[in-house]
Amino acid sequence: MAVGPATVARPATRAGRAFSRRSLFEREGVFSWVMLAPGVLFLLAFVAYPFFYGIFLSFQDRRVASAGTFVGLANFVTLAHDAVFWQVTRNTFIYTIVATLLKMVGGLAMALVMNQAFRGRNLVRAFFLLPFIVPTVLSTVAWMWILDPTFSVVNWTLRNTGLMTQNFSWLGNATLAMWSIIVVNTWRGLPFYGITLLAGLQTISPDLYEAAAIDGASITQRFWYITMPVLKPILIIVTMFSVIFTFSDFQLPYVLTHGGPANATHLFATYAFDIGMSAGVLGMGAAVALAMLPALALLIVALTLYLRRE
Amino acid sequence: MRSRREFLATSLAAAGAAALPRSAGAQTKTMTVVHESSFIKQFDDFFVKTLAPEYQKLTGIKMNYEPVSVGGMLTRLTTMAETKSGPEITATGLNWAHLFDNSLVDVTDVAGEIGKKLGGWHDIIHDISVVKGKWKALPWGNIGQLEVYRTDWFKEAGVNKFPDNWEDLLAAGRLLKKKGHPFGFELGHGFGDNHGWLYPLLWSYGGREVDKDGKTVLIDSSETAAAVDFCRKFYKETMFEDVLGWTDVNNNKAFFGEQISCTNNASSILVVGKRDFPDIAKVTDHALNPQGPKGRFHLLNSQNHSIMTYASDVKAAKDFLRWLYDDKQLSRWLVSADAYYAPFLHAYDNHPMWNSEPRYMPFKESLKTTRPHTWPGPQNHAASESVAKYVLVDMFAKACRGDSTKDVIATAASQLKQIYKAK
Repeated sequence: MAVGPATVARPATRAGRAFSRRSLFEREGVFSWVMLAPGVLFLLAFVAYPFFYGIFLSFQDRRVASAGTFVGLANFVTLAHDAVFWQVTRNTFIYTIVATLLKMVGGLAMALVMNQAFRGRNLVRAFFLLPFIVPTVLSTVAWMWILDPTFSVVNWTLRNTGLMTQNFSWLGNATLAMWSIIVVNTWRGLPFYGITLLAGLQTISPDLYEAAAIDGASITQRFWYITMPVLKPILIIVTMFSVIFTFSDFQLPYVLTHGGPANATHLFATYAFDIGMSAGVLGMGAAVALAMLPALALLIVALTLYLRRE
Repeated sequence: MRSRREFLATSLAAAGAAALPRSAGAQTKTMTVVHESSFIKQFDDFFVKTLAPEYQKLTGIKMNYEPVSVGGMLTRLTTMAETKSGPEITATGLNWAHLFDNSLVDVTDVAGEIGKKLGGWHDIIHDISVVKGKWKALPWGNIGQLEVYRTDWFKEAGVNKFPDNWEDLLAAGRLLKKKGHPFGFELGHGFGDNHGWLYPLLWSYGGREVDKDGKTVLIDSSETAAAVDFCRKFYKETMFEDVLGWTDVNNNKAFFGEQISCTNNASSILVVGKRDFPDIAKVTDHALNPQGPKGRFHLLNSQNHSIMTYASDVKAAKDFLRWLYDDKQLSRWLVSADAYYAPFLHAYDNHPMWNSEPRYMPFKESLKTTRPHTWPGPQNHAASESVAKYVLVDMFAKACRGDSTKDVIATAASQLKQIYKAK
């Protein structure tokens, strides 16, 4: 039986409106946007707005509880002449590069170990996640005690094993303080690398390793020619996230050293906080925070391009 | 298919319900006071358990008390001022009345009445509380930063009386360090115990950060050099490296860990000692900061109340503060704090609270020689920037770690010129 197009295209007017409303949500395009809307609105309100407001502030001489005046790039020019800002920049790069490298190597080792079959493997995996699960402020306070000159378990152990006769000043010596916060950051960030890389390792079929072993490939060769090619994209993504988190780290240095001694562990985030919130110079604080942007943007663009090429 | 619509309808209804505003009463039924948590728990408790119920009984207005963690009050106040919402009455400290001038109500009338009733205000408090001729903060007390020391170890080293000047304290420190009882004065990035002794040290040698005009940077002087040289010697001969990285909790921990024999702190060490470490408390005492060639100084650390301009009922807030600063209330509240807060009202110069523990007397005495951070410079935004950037603390800390006096002063001078926009 032939169905006339008018039957489908022209239903009764009232029923047509109801049908249209109903069908509107049945369309994937509309429904997906409706579902995305809360997330997009959340991002706009809590990420995009503060970000653009931060940019706006950085071009202003804006003191707390006062109206701002537009000063163009003056805040950035002032920062360029601020010796502490350059020390903070150097500190942030050292902190990020060293901590990320340590996390990368350590996390890979952790993933390789956890990928082996042994008794209590699941329990070990759960324990490895602890540093990532415990709130940073809480674990950092624990580290404060670990590194405390009077009560330090590290110093106690070193002294009682005869490895040293005097306490190390983990947070008082400029070099040791930087190393201390790097170690704590590495400890906290290792599980992120370890678990993510473990997920990647589990996608590799054991047949590949068996075939390679039969062909006479050594352990090193199997690692470089089977494991690494599979892990590389994951490693890049994890590194990208890790660099972003480490570069903008605040809680850890703020709780442990507050940027001391003599600015030796001041990072962008802690310096921006001190200027913006403690000194009330919101424009300059925003400028310090924005100083992180070029380096991070470059890194993200470079890694994304690399991933696309791969 | 139907489930999608149902899901959406339910979600939107729930979101709408959550977004509905709560109905607001037209008359003032409640007000909130925000404070940094006191080191003296009884002080906070007295407000919550005694003062607030009394005021509610008297006026029907419920007074809420919002404690903020130590060190977090400035951030809370910044948020309140920027968002124009939150508690009606706030605690302020240091130069915050100047920083938040636009957000604070003029309380000159209330300050005048209180001063008249309670013997008048100490002169020094005007620098902090009065902004462009208007009172913006009502001080209730000063948290003094003084010398805290172990009497037993000082006696063992042959020092029976706490040294009156820096050189004598250095000599005592040498003896005590040799006996395994070093000093521990904070040189790191804390928020109080570092500035608490370093500004007084600078001033006592005649050094100044900036002049009264707030534009002439004075740090590069022979007086500053003398203070820096002394500090380096004091650090090397009486302390140990950790102090360079200390924040405000460390000297307390070290004192109770019996690691140090002397530090600069508020009376909280003795208060906590009496509660948790009675044996140490018995051999703990306070002294005024030592004097230098140009006098003796202490750091002003006033605690005040201010009213936010966004408060819907400013009159109610002022009435509450009038009631709170009446001797009937204020006197009992100060007593509850065990003399931790030294009041700036002359009626309390000989208050019985000073008699309960003679070891607190130096805190009363110190009021005569207190000065605000960056004194004699104005208490403006630049002063806050200098403090927040630890310019002075780092100048001394860098000298202690081995940098030359000339270099550390040059760096500080360069930073201060930028901060104060000096030519």
